[in-house]
Amino acid sequence: MACLHDHSCEDHDCSSNWSLYKHIDLPKVSALNEAVPGSAKSVFKPWEHRLNSSEEHLESNEGDPELLVYIPFTSDVKIKSIAIIGGTDGTSPSKMRAFINRDGIDFSDAQNMQAVQEWDLVENLNGLLEFQTRYAKFQSVASITLHFPDNFGGDTSQIHYIGFKGEATQLKRDVVATIVYELMPNPSDHKTKAESGGGFSQVE
Amino acid sequence: MVLEATMICIDNSEWMRNGDYSPSRFQAQADAVNLLCGAKTQSNPENTVGILTMAGKQVRVLTTPTSDLGKILSCMHGLEVGGEMNLSAGIQVAQLALKHRQNKNQKQRIIVFAGSPVQYDKTMLETIGKKLKKNNVSLDIVDFGEDEEGKLEKLDALFASVNSNESSHIIHIPPGGAAISTALMSTPVFTGDGEGGSGFAAAAAAGGGNFDFGVDPNLDPELALALRVSMEEERARQEAAAKRAADEAAREEKGEPSNSQDATMVGKAAEAINNASEPMDEVNALLQQAIALSMENSGSDPSVHDSEMAEATNEDQDLAMALQISIQEAAKDSSSQSDMSKVLEDPSFMPSVLASLPGVDLNDPSVKELLASLQGQSESKQKKEDNPPSDGK
Repeated sequence: MACLHDHSCEDHDCSSNWSLYKHIDLPKVSALNEAVPGSAKSVFKPWEHRLNSSEEHLESNEGDPELLVYIPFTSDVKIKSIAIIGGTDGTSPSKMRAFINRDGIDFSDAQNMQAVQEWDLVENLNGLLEFQTRYAKFQSVASITLHFPDNFGGDTSQIHYIGFKGEATQLKRDVVATIVYELMPNPSDHKTKAESGGGFSQVE
Repeated sequence: MVLEATMICIDNSEWMRNGDYSPSRFQAQADAVNLLCGAKTQSNPENTVGILTMAGKQVRVLTTPTSDLGKILSCMHGLEVGGEMNLSAGIQVAQLALKHRQNKNQKQRIIVFAGSPVQYDKTMLETIGKKLKKNNVSLDIVDFGEDEEGKLEKLDALFASVNSNESSHIIHIPPGGAAISTALMSTPVFTGDGEGGSGFAAAAAAGGGNFDFGVDPNLDPELALALRVSMEEERARQEAAAKRAADEAAREEKGEPSNSQDATMVGKAAEAINNASEPMDEVNALLQQAIALSMENSGSDPSVHDSEMAEATNEDQDLAMALQISIQEAAKDSSSQSDMSKVLEDPSFMPSVLASLPGVDLNDPSVKELLASLQGQSESKQKKEDNPPSDGK
């Protein structure tokens, strides 16, 4: 499911739609099988800069086109569609699989697990092509992992830009932060109201 | 201080009975492993280390990655030597153990002790290496013991296919030299990719005695750091002072009058100090400090003292350097000094302070002399500031 913009982008500012990049937790973005460690962060930029190929891009290792990108967000977001700009000469990825709210996925996990959604990509060098999501499944996304298993025949895979369109909620998907486990109950930790000297105690 | 989960693959094959490392290859390896575990857990308290053995009927995981050093050391006991090492299975099991680590933020590292011949061929090892690189696992290879033909090549090929960005290392330890643990201590396997376990390594090496400042950096890191910093500062200052002394020695000194004035003041103050010795010893110490401060103040115009220093240098190098150092110190925090100097120069302030000190009698002649010298010095300072400084610039 892909759609082209049916207007020319100079009329209005498309970048406001693609503003989810502001909610990406950039320091925690990571990728597997990247040739240059840390280059995954460079593909997340504002919509206007998506065609800046002078900066770094994400490239996979020689002879191995698989890429796995883990993208956490700073708050829960709803993702409506995703845009990918790949490289030239067959280095664009040909398939994309998405996993939601799971961290620590590696290649064997990604290959065995059922993705939330999969897309067949086309070579899209100007980023006007967006791939819609099944919106109901992408309602509260704290992190998304994109797996690109294959490309169009190039030796490596290159990605220059990844954009997300959607809304950001202000909610945070919180992990339970502090948990205290008791092996044995300690009465002093559990004072009743009578012992702590407060409150009414009703006697019926 | 990298947050890391490490799996150490131990070679407990038959080849480890050999005695070319003392007391036996296996013992030397065990020592190295113990030291390594300690270093890893010390460099970051959240680091975890796990151990597995590669030889025998099957690859056996002795402990999954844990930060409990005691558990790790205890599982090294009672290990039996026998069988053949299975390098590929060992690395793959290590990778699996790391995959299921509890804290996914830890980086993954495998350390392999390869002491016996490697049965697998180069291409297979290269595929294993690529798989490790793809999953962002670093590999450290410690090559020791048996030096079979082709083993070095294979291990180098494995290393080349795994190494991304210098995070993996390969170390060769020849027999007969230092023990494996000592040889490893200076390598990046121990020290991590930057600094890191060097403090622990130094502690282990010195065995508790030979620290630079007599302070164990592990027991009291802040004190050790403070001592080291002040040592370097002092050294830097002395170097600068030595350079300046060398410069001054070549310069012509001028300004005799100011020299003599300084000389008399020094003489007077020294005299006063010596005279006022009997009744008020603690007070004396305070006074001496005050005088010293005010003396330094008079030299806060460094150019004047430059010429004086040139003269002194010819006579007594050490004294000159010491004086210069203190002058420079004074010159550095001249702002605080000038406040002090204003206070000290105020003719009414000093007597009132001295009067409040116990045991000081304002009518005592030595005290009076002292006061006079201080006030005289403040006047001469005014005079000096009026005269355009002309000497020895």
